[in-house]
Amino acid sequence: MTPAPTRDPGHLTLALPKGRILEDAIALLSQAGLPLTMPEKSRALRHEFPGVTVLELRNQDVPVYVDLGVADAGIVGKDVLIESGRTVYEPVDLKFAGCRLSLIREVGADGDIARIGTKYPRAARAYLNARGIPAEIVKLSGNIELACLTGLADAVVDLVQTGSTLRANNLEEVDVLFHSTARLVVNRAALKTRRERLRPLIERLRELTSQ
Amino acid sequence: MLPPEWAQREAIRAQLSGLFSRWGYRGVEVPALEYASAHHPQDAVAFKLIDSGGQVLSLRSEFTTAVGRLVRTRYPHGPFPLRLQYSGRLWLRALNSELGRLREFNQLGVELIGVETARSDAELLHLAAAALREVGVGAALEVGYPGFVDAVLEDAGLHGAARAALHDAIDRKSGADVDLLCGQFGLGGDTRRTLHALTDLYGGPEVLDAAQGLARGTRAQEAVAHLRRVAALYAGPLLFDLGVSRRYDYYTGLTFRAYAPGLNQPVLGGGRYALEGGLPGAGFALGLERLMRALAGDLPPEPELVLALDLAAADAARAQGLHAELAWTDDRTELRAFSTARGIHRWASSQGGTLTFQPATEVTQ
Repeated sequence: MTPAPTRDPGHLTLALPKGRILEDAIALLSQAGLPLTMPEKSRALRHEFPGVTVLELRNQDVPVYVDLGVADAGIVGKDVLIESGRTVYEPVDLKFAGCRLSLIREVGADGDIARIGTKYPRAARAYLNARGIPAEIVKLSGNIELACLTGLADAVVDLVQTGSTLRANNLEEVDVLFHSTARLVVNRAALKTRRERLRPLIERLRELTSQ
Repeated sequence: MLPPEWAQREAIRAQLSGLFSRWGYRGVEVPALEYASAHHPQDAVAFKLIDSGGQVLSLRSEFTTAVGRLVRTRYPHGPFPLRLQYSGRLWLRALNSELGRLREFNQLGVELIGVETARSDAELLHLAAAALREVGVGAALEVGYPGFVDAVLEDAGLHGAARAALHDAIDRKSGADVDLLCGQFGLGGDTRRTLHALTDLYGGPEVLDAAQGLARGTRAQEAVAHLRRVAALYAGPLLFDLGVSRRYDYYTGLTFRAYAPGLNQPVLGGGRYALEGGLPGAGFALGLERLMRALAGDLPPEPELVLALDLAAADAARAQGLHAELAWTDDRTELRAFSTARGIHRWASSQGGTLTFQPATEVTQ
């Protein structure tokens, strides 16, 4: 492990997901007053700014870094947060990266659901348990719709943004598990020990995102 | 665990148990193997074993329940307050062995049983602060009161599943989830504003004034009044978070924890609870592994280690407060090689009854 550079008590370490959310996140955080810019395309995974370190992570890893306290705060989709099962504070709904987690079947399918394919086994399990459906859950990693079309599963639980992929593949949303947007997440101890920096940031982000 | 870490951990343990003893907390030991019980507060996260008779056993997952059982069977009539301390290993199966979250870890703590006054709560805060000072960890103490959140939710007319769901959303300080649930349960206006305010109810003593403004019923008001009495008795700096509602059904009064700078995990945690049978209790525990991380590198100074060439020299060196290892051979070359490898700078010998030292590197033929 390369030790992090010695930090002032007020230094912030932020966990941000790489890719599309990173641009929106950096734009919003710099609007909120943090001295951040979009990092140059490089292989660096840790970006240093005055008083702020940004860790660039897979989105599933953001709640882990924040819960275990390596990062003080981060930005991540509510879908990923629910799936992580991590207990972190989530004081601001940033209202971008909107989507919904839905139960999806082939158009017209009405048989029993015995097997479900998903990238979200925890959310799917909670949904099935709440409805008393004793279906088996198969954890998949991508192109979840294919599980329905090939008969691997009777239904899938997956993210829907516009629904165009579903229409193109003769699939339909049967139910919505929950709606998701990007959230500011904060480590439970950091919110208290670094509150001089985090509280104004939270206030500013709330102002920026309340329409 | 290797000698330097072991030495640090045991030094911390000795410092803390010495402090607890000076405050009148007597030590007890409870079994690491317990009969599994669905009523145990940590049953869902405890390791389970099966003995030869088919009985399901749990590995100890916290101390309070076991200490409470000991009090019920051995000290049912006190004398109260009963002050006890414990130290030992705990196991949790639900945690991965991740940074700062171990599935096998060491805790040291105290229980103050049989009394339920603001003064006894303040005593525990004083002792917690003294414990952190004793080991040299500069940490901030934060006080919460899960029953306050519960009382505010009760005053808002919430019961059952709705109240439980809102406890969870408030404990995560999730304004978005509070909104979602308010929509689901048809709550609006003042109630929604109050519940949102709970998610922001943390900071310094000003939090108590804000909390008083939210307290409608007597239960909520009494919680704030109690915290004011405890804070006045404690008289030191305290943080407050009145949005904490984790395990609100277990804690019957205040809860508290300590945050060390630079370590995003609490190093100490505790609160007030009711023992099985209704006896009031309160206590706290410190995580030894977390204290060691908070102290990273600040190892306690150790006495010099010397190599004693005979038993009398070893005794004499130890009497001077040194640590002494005994030579096992007369082969000087072998002893010199060992001394270099072990970091020993002096040899002790006792020719003629007096203790004399010689440098370990000196060529003595």
